Amino acid sequence: MKKLPELEIIEEAISWRKFKKKVVLATVISTWGSSPFEIGTKMIINEDGNFFGSVSGGCVETNVIQESIKLLKNKHTFKKLDFDVSDENAWDIGLACGGSISVYIEKIN
Amino acid sequence: MKIEILQKIIKKKSSKKRFALLKNLSNGKSELFELENQLSDDFKAHKKNIENYYNLKKNGVINGTKIFIQNYTKPIEVIIVGAVHIAQYLVEFSKNFNLKITIIDPREYFIKKQKFENIKIINEWPEKILKQIQSDNRTALIVLTHDPKIDDPALQFALKNKFFYVGALGSKKTHETRCQRLKKSGYTDKQINSIHGPIGLKLGGKSAPEIALSIIAQLVLETNKLNI
Repeated sequence: MKKLPELEIIEEAISWRKFKKKVVLATVISTWGSSPFEIGTKMIINEDGNFFGSVSGGCVETNVIQESIKLLKNKHTFKKLDFDVSDENAWDIGLACGGSISVYIEKIN
Repeated sequence: MKIEILQKIIKKKSSKKRFALLKNLSNGKSELFELENQLSDDFKAHKKNIENYYNLKKNGVINGTKIFIQNYTKPIEVIIVGAVHIAQYLVEFSKNFNLKITIIDPREYFIKKQKFENIKIINEWPEKILKQIQSDNRTALIVLTHDPKIDDPALQFALKNKFFYVGALGSKKTHETRCQRLKKSGYTDKQINSIHGPIGLKLGGKSAPEIALSIIAQLVLETNKLNI
């Protein structure tokens, strides 16, 4: 069942852009195993490191925020982030659910 | 992604049509898709796959491609009979879900007394309004007045037409006498048993917000069974 908070997140992104903030949209594009959130779940991040929404139960958000701020500083417009339990980093980030998840981050312009 | 696409999503969500968001993960382009619309050059080569996922309402990266699709389905239509206190909390909780609520109550006093924001409220007898509604397997009916002359005709309409969820407020005893009335009117046990009554998942609460929560929980449960 598609949850409406997604619309709140999109509206917030639009309002951030109105205030001339640089914004990144993060979208869950694939999940495997026991990932908590469904495909399409969204989160937005701005240049100040503020964020709204979530892409997991708190497992990978910190990394997504860091990568998003990095993206805002370089010339690329998008990046795919893969988090997996078999990935050494994933344990650091703490994907304790035992699943894997791909998050696509992109600049909103 | 262009901000215009996000603005379009908000706009399209308020109309009742379904659509999908497409992303080409190899070049970063996004666009919205509807069956009757042409695909741009960024997506044209994958037309068949996109239509296939769209028809199946499947979300994700399309197998063997770098195309992502997310379907935006029409909201579930929820018709509530009775502009009572519980309905206020139903409206409040429903904001977090893909639900579109209409409230019907023939009693002007209730319509005037309760405050509902951004909700369609109709001051009329339910049977008159229900006749005009095209219900389908995404339509739900919740009756809350436990007044037979208001609830019963609405329930009877729902049992004769396509509704995926029908729930009726009332104690076990109230529901039993309701079932007996429906049986007398010629409805089969199968039809009568399809009514969720007493309505809601058992949370043990008796306050208006607790009852509303138990109703919403049951509605979400039944909606998730639909695979839509």
